[in-house]
Amino acid sequence: MVQKLCLVTVGATAPFEKLIQAVLHESFIAELEKHDFTRLLIQYGKGGQPIFDAYRAEYENGKIVHDIQIGGFDLRPNMTSCLCMVREDPSIGQELGMMISHAGTGSILDALRAGLPLVIVPNPDLANNHQQELAEFLAEAGYAIVGKLDDIPSVVGQAAQRGDQAPLFRRDNGDRSIMTMSDELSWVD
Amino acid sequence: MASNLQPLWDLALKILGLTGAIGFLIILVILVSLVISQNATLPKVRRRGTPVHLLVMLGSGGHTAEMLAILENQFDYSVYTYRTYVVSSGDELSAKKAVEFEDTIAQQNGNEKAVDNYTVVMIPRARRVHQSYLTAPFSTLHCFWACLLVLLGRHPDQRPLPAQYPSNHPDIILTNGPAVAVCMILAAKTIRFFIYCLRWASGKGSKPEISRLRTIYVESWARVRTLSVSGRILLPIADKFLVQWQPLAGRRAWWGMKETEYCGWVVL
Repeated sequence: MVQKLCLVTVGATAPFEKLIQAVLHESFIAELEKHDFTRLLIQYGKGGQPIFDAYRAEYENGKIVHDIQIGGFDLRPNMTSCLCMVREDPSIGQELGMMISHAGTGSILDALRAGLPLVIVPNPDLANNHQQELAEFLAEAGYAIVGKLDDIPSVVGQAAQRGDQAPLFRRDNGDRSIMTMSDELSWVD
Repeated sequence: MASNLQPLWDLALKILGLTGAIGFLIILVILVSLVISQNATLPKVRRRGTPVHLLVMLGSGGHTAEMLAILENQFDYSVYTYRTYVVSSGDELSAKKAVEFEDTIAQQNGNEKAVDNYTVVMIPRARRVHQSYLTAPFSTLHCFWACLLVLLGRHPDQRPLPAQYPSNHPDIILTNGPAVAVCMILAAKTIRFFIYCLRWASGKGSKPEISRLRTIYVESWARVRTLSVSGRILLPIADKFLVQWQPLAGRRAWWGMKETEYCGWVVL
């Protein structure tokens, strides 16, 4: 069976309950189903566990019905295995998925390195202006989509379209920058 | 009564005037040194193939992550033959990551473990999270002192450098924030100020010499349009100020100072 994963990260430092609620909302799940996603994995971080557990309890009681397999965890020191699950890998029947990030630098860099379709949702409760700026610049350059909390479902379609295009970032494709420091060493010519 | 107080007033005014004048002089000397230092051209006297000692500041968390990505992508370790990693006390994770990184370099070069090519040094924090601003100046001074020791090669965590290194000073100091990085660059500049004065005092001022303790600051990739606090402080101080976004290129502290250089996304 073909797998397609949507990975959601909220980071370690600040809780982001609104994002977790938004991605567990039925309208978002319906949108995932519409675009052939099979799995939703949430790194819910600090304070996210109660929301996730409440959702799981409702699901197990049969109050919510859908075909998306949902998983969640607090935090992992290394996200590599999760990122690999989003990547395209025909040998294990894995389609290119998408990643929704809380605008944390680490997670954005991870997604760019792995070449994943990326949605950035800045946390409006944090007065962190430069993260918002970063998200907007990345969106402008075409590397990511900026999502709004009140309209999360629409990003699934946008990201899916993105995924059909060429890889977003390639280190070995001329995008890679080289830092020059030889002038500071001042070698003999 | 008033006549009794008059001499005291005079004395107080004199002391005030004197401290003012000394303060003004110190600020003037600092400003002039910063201008001279940033505009100096380096004599090309370093011979190719000679070993280079790189000092890397691992700031913690996101700073460490960005720095490790830079180290992974941007350096040829057959040139930068010795590395000193500086981490804040208590930041075991950064220390561990530095060792892991060195293990990968050693593996790439076919060595099992090359512990002779690097050291990890732990220095006190400039300001701990939630520390009071009253005590912060003292802890910052403590941090600065530790930075001086590291740059002089006298920190207890350091082992003697291999014999092929003629100087205890690192050649390049690479930082990307936060406060400890500011301390390290300030310490480097302070040592260079005294070396410079000593050289001129001993009449060797114009003789070309290999430049060491060169300071490089890389602004965080997350900074697109505004510099971080560390960045703003270091703008007139760092010898090379690299930014990863075009809107930050060409910034300088004031007229006549060195501009920031756009280097692209070196963390990716």
